[in-house]
Amino acid sequence: MTELRRAFGAPLSALIVFLAGVWILGLIAAPQIIMIEQSFWTMQRPEGAAELSVRIDALYNRLDVLALDHAAAADDAARAAIDAERVEVQGEITALEAQESTPVKTWTLSNYAQMGQAHLAIFAKTILASLAVTAIAFVVCYPIAFAIAKLEPPRRAAMIMLALVVPYAINELLRVFAWQMILNYSGPLNAALGLVGIGPIPFLESGTGVFVAMVYAYILFMVFPLYNVLETLDTNQIEAARDLGAGPLQIHRRVVLPHARPGIAVGCIMTFMLSAGSYAVPYIMTRGTADPWFTQLVYNRFFQATNWNVGAAYALSLLVVCTGFIFVMMRLLKVRLKDIAK
Amino acid sequence: MSGRGSGLILRVYMALFFVYMFLPLGIMVVAGFNAYSPPSVTVWQGFSLQWFGELWADERMRSGLRNSLIIAGSVIALALPMGLAGALLLGRLGARAAGLLYTLMVSPLLTPGIILGISTVIFWRNFDVAGGLFTAILAQTTFVASYAMLMFMARLQRQDATLEEAARDLGATPLQAFRRITLPFLRPTIATAAVIAFLQSFENYNTTMFAIGGQHTLVTEIGSRMRFGLSPVVNVIGILFIIATITCAVVWAILKERERGAANGASA
Repeated sequence: MTELRRAFGAPLSALIVFLAGVWILGLIAAPQIIMIEQSFWTMQRPEGAAELSVRIDALYNRLDVLALDHAAAADDAARAAIDAERVEVQGEITALEAQESTPVKTWTLSNYAQMGQAHLAIFAKTILASLAVTAIAFVVCYPIAFAIAKLEPPRRAAMIMLALVVPYAINELLRVFAWQMILNYSGPLNAALGLVGIGPIPFLESGTGVFVAMVYAYILFMVFPLYNVLETLDTNQIEAARDLGAGPLQIHRRVVLPHARPGIAVGCIMTFMLSAGSYAVPYIMTRGTADPWFTQLVYNRFFQATNWNVGAAYALSLLVVCTGFIFVMMRLLKVRLKDIAK
Repeated sequence: MSGRGSGLILRVYMALFFVYMFLPLGIMVVAGFNAYSPPSVTVWQGFSLQWFGELWADERMRSGLRNSLIIAGSVIALALPMGLAGALLLGRLGARAAGLLYTLMVSPLLTPGIILGISTVIFWRNFDVAGGLFTAILAQTTFVASYAMLMFMARLQRQDATLEEAARDLGATPLQAFRRITLPFLRPTIATAAVIAFLQSFENYNTTMFAIGGQHTLVTEIGSRMRFGLSPVVNVIGILFIIATITCAVVWAILKERERGAANGASA
């Protein structure tokens, strides 16, 4: 902090700390903490609510009796006494009723237990499918990234990457929509299959469409990080390995892949996170005809069932899995956070 | 891979990859000019520009565009100063504190977008603020500031510290040194960060969808059009996006080329 003050002076330092503080505490940390907190409690009817209602009923009876007494009372003094008691009873009823109907905040794990068999299956399916998307993306992209970075002349490589920026920069929704058209029941793919006497196949309704579109939508998030690291690989290293008698497989296993670790980590983390957290792709591809993606369940908890506590628990489960994946990748590939976020 | 054969296989493979990347976009473009609705390339009813007209007359798309621009402008105004503050702070802290702070500041980039949207809405509900443009702006700022921070950090690492020190030795106050030395040095990055922030905000769907409540942006509106009541108006938007992207890419390539030319000219 003293270093900060020395470098920027007191007013500017204060502004820097304020801005960074609002961002880190107010926008990043606080909402996450509140979400975690919210996932561990629920509003419940207070304990002993049944007993309370019996007592309230008894008090209402007492009121009726007092009303009768009031009508039968002999003089004003007696009536005043009864009136006083009626006010008192009425007050007691109001207090008890408030107590009965005010839900109390109860700490519980039940929000997580709500997930049940069906939702747990969707949760597992979402994660497994996302892992599969990640694996496919890596297998498809590795040769592409290697070919562009190491086999093309630099000028051409730059042009190719620029061309790939076009589909990369076009909105995810529109790219997914293109596949929705292609895989449609009356789309071009089914028309082509029809020519050879197959189909039509309900790609969208079976959930296949979600998978296909997801690979398409997120595959470029694998290409760019892989290309970036492979570009920095010194071609002399490959030549040296070859001169020393290494075959293509060995070169990749011993030279190229170890060098590419940070890029592999970034690509896999991005692809997995985007797939597992994707709302757009399943939303557009299935139109509700196939099993939902886990993100859709989360959305429904919030905005249709309006149970925010359960929604928070679902969202947190997803976050835990994604964070876990990041740690596993960092451990497996022996990279640090600094290497990833560049 | 030394052989010519495997080189050819890689070439073919790469060509196939490009077909895979661009063919779907081509199909979307073609259907945008087809008079037939819902969008299709298998049923052709003739070339038509009618969907461009319908998009122009679409009130919800226009209000969505307006909201998108409001959000993007606010996100730029918030995220750039915050990201810059984060980057400046990082450079002046001890290793351990910087490490922790860095982890916190990049964490939004490693968090699924829907979580950022949800947590923001949950947080502000405690202050009786419902989902809307305001929460969408804050939720997007959370991660856009991370991008800005990384870009500023990369630039600051290349700054020549002696310049600032020289200015201070010559009697400049810290504020003057920052304004006259550091800020001009950062200017190109500020411009790039603003463009990136704009695109990230404008194109965002996941975070916005969960944070925006009953409001809509251009992209969330496109999303609901794709799900309900399909019309080639969506394809027309796709065509416009593609044209805009290609234009940007070409302009960028030309600028880059000119820069290279200038550098060569200077060195020659």
